[in-house]
Amino acid sequence: MNIPLQVAGFLGRSYRGAISFLALIGIWAALARLQAFPAELLPAPDAVLTTFLQSAASGVLGASLGASLGRIAQGFLIGCSLGLLLGASMGVSPAVESLFAPLFNALRQVPIIGWIPLIIVWCGIADLSKIVFIALGAFFPMAINTFEGIRSVPHGYLEVARVFEFGKLRLLGKIVLPGALPSIVTGVRLSLGASWMLVVWSEINTRSAPGIGDMLDSAREGSKMDVVIVCIVVIGAVAFLINELLGQLEAQLQGWKKTSR
Amino acid sequence: MRTLKRKLLGLVAPVLLLAAWDYVTRRELFSPQLLPPSEMLLETWWDMQTSGELALNMRVSLCRVAGGFALGAALGFALGTAMATCKAVDDYLGPLFNTVRQVPIVGWLPFLIVWLGIGELFKVAFISLGALIPMALKTYEGIKAVSPGFLELARVFEFGRFRQLTKIMLPSALPSLLIGLRLSLSEAWMLVVAAELVVASVGIGNTMTVARRLFQTDVVLVSVIAIAITGYLGNALLALLEARLLASRRPTCAQ
Amino acid sequence: MEKLGTLKVNSLSKGFGPKGQGLKVLDDVNLTVEPGEFISIVGQSGCGKTTFLRLVVGLESDYQGEILLDGKRLNGPDLERGVVFQDHRLLPWLTVEKNVGLGLKNAGKGEARRKVQEHIELVGLKGYEKHYPHQLSGGMSQRAAIARALVNRPQILMLDEPLGALDALTRMYMHQELERIWRQEGITMIMVTHDMDEAIFLSDRVVIMSSRPGTIKKIMPVKLARPRDRASIEFARIKEELLEEFHLHTETPFAYSI
Repeated sequence: MNIPLQVAGFLGRSYRGAISFLALIGIWAALARLQAFPAELLPAPDAVLTTFLQSAASGVLGASLGASLGRIAQGFLIGCSLGLLLGASMGVSPAVESLFAPLFNALRQVPIIGWIPLIIVWCGIADLSKIVFIALGAFFPMAINTFEGIRSVPHGYLEVARVFEFGKLRLLGKIVLPGALPSIVTGVRLSLGASWMLVVWSEINTRSAPGIGDMLDSAREGSKMDVVIVCIVVIGAVAFLINELLGQLEAQLQGWKKTSR
Repeated sequence: MRTLKRKLLGLVAPVLLLAAWDYVTRRELFSPQLLPPSEMLLETWWDMQTSGELALNMRVSLCRVAGGFALGAALGFALGTAMATCKAVDDYLGPLFNTVRQVPIVGWLPFLIVWLGIGELFKVAFISLGALIPMALKTYEGIKAVSPGFLELARVFEFGRFRQLTKIMLPSALPSLLIGLRLSLSEAWMLVVAAELVVASVGIGNTMTVARRLFQTDVVLVSVIAIAITGYLGNALLALLEARLLASRRPTCAQ
Repeated sequence: MEKLGTLKVNSLSKGFGPKGQGLKVLDDVNLTVEPGEFISIVGQSGCGKTTFLRLVVGLESDYQGEILLDGKRLNGPDLERGVVFQDHRLLPWLTVEKNVGLGLKNAGKGEARRKVQEHIELVGLKGYEKHYPHQLSGGMSQRAAIARALVNRPQILMLDEPLGALDALTRMYMHQELERIWRQEGITMIMVTHDMDEAIFLSDRVVIMSSRPGTIKKIMPVKLARPRDRASIEFARIKEELLEEFHLHTETPFAYSI
């Protein structure tokens, strides 16, 4: 309605938000300057920035990040495709659902992190176990959301398909999958988010090869707090990007669902 | 009849899995260290049960969860309420909160270890950080979703801030608050295992780490099952609470 | 000397947008409502009748002109003025009893219970005290909403298309009920509606509003004995007269193209 006022309101809000960031950094800088805590606990903000620039320039950060993303790519692809497959077949066929749902629901009661000792026993501590772990974590949200998305396709649409005498394939391609698509994208977002958490976690848990989690935990061991903070920020930024990009896709796909607004 | 058939069908996959397991262990296709025979699990379970090992470790883990969950959920509720009801708090803290919550919670683990050591303080702080975020989010969303019509009603009746909160906002947000509690609890349960896998001398996560190092796969498996059952029970308990609290709102026969 | 409970609206104007300078919704509205009167405000949607009602309730602010109750300028919502919304707005997590007692102020426990019970009986919901809103039909929900608005004994009750969502038969039944409650309580009622029959059946005076900007076009007194007969010739004549006001409007379509 009133654009100047809205802009002013937005600036006012982000200005207030910026204040708390600046205050946080200010307190941090002041505490570091006063040496209230030892540098192993609290390095100065500029030291962290320098560390970030150095590790970015030297390629250490990039290599670690790349290794982690490589693991994600493999684990996520496997887990996501299997989840899509199971979720879709359970969604389409009640027989498949009654066959697998009890086992699936029992398995998903295990907090995902609880699987790791078992996976390590079976797959060792090298990359394989990490990829299996990530795949497992990506599998569950993908399967659930695909299943729920297909089941939530309104019954009326299915009747439309029956009126037009669609075959099974056309029904799937024209009605069921498009109807379930927003939910499937939600599944992708959640399982990619889980993958990212799990790659960090598995790298912290079994430090066998470079990766961002490995970099984080070895910095912790070496009391290099500046590197720890750099890693946390980078991990957060990647998680934010995943969430943001897929969240936007999701919002676009869901656009047609809402009649108003 | 149909439901019975469906239930029987549901047993097929687990039974097949058990049969395959049995076949593999009988033919000793894998070493028993990697895959112990299924009947051995029961023995191991019995041993861990009678020796009190399972109960002790479970109790320690549950205490940590209880502390972390109570603290985290309470703080999350307070933060979510404050941000949803007070615009200034939302403006100042909202962006900061939304930035901090982007970091996957396990990423904070090394940071917290450096600051708090590896004792109980670290574990409770780690768990409560994880429990805080979903609770704060769901509280915030729930209160923000209160129908404006109800808020107008509060104005017509000249409710003060406190009555508006307790009579309108919180009851209206209750379903969302309960979802927050559930998410928070399952997060807390996952994180206690995570923390114990890395640093602990006792606790169910520690049991697994020790057993894993000694290649006692049976103990690992029993622990995984125990963790799953406990998590399931916690969730079921909250679901029961939810059903009770929301029972009167169920649209039974809205004409 | 005006009687106690007189509502006076003097040259009331309201616009939305920056500082009320944008779209004019109400322009120079003047109206005096005597205590105990039943007034209906009719008009096409978008004529500002709901905005007018919300201004009198105190839910909207920033207006030019005056709204006075007993000579005092209104300042925000007040328990002296009750309101019934079109969507009944019963809180789904409270029983009928608790909903009706929601706005009660300054009443001891026993007194509160007595007042709530009294008003539940007044609107004919006896026996439904422990029911939840989702167990009530539309008409019953609106009755509960009326009881809730009356429980503080306001001087004026504002009704915003309270029966709009009901089916035709239930609505006619509710007209009788509303009339009964109005007589029993001796309260001023101001109702916004777009149902001509409803307005004629219930009102002492019907206020006709025209749109863009909303102004009072005509105030038509309804001098029929109560209870009124919808099928009588006098009723039909008044309705015709009322409808004519709107026919005139539709015959000048230019009014819309501005």
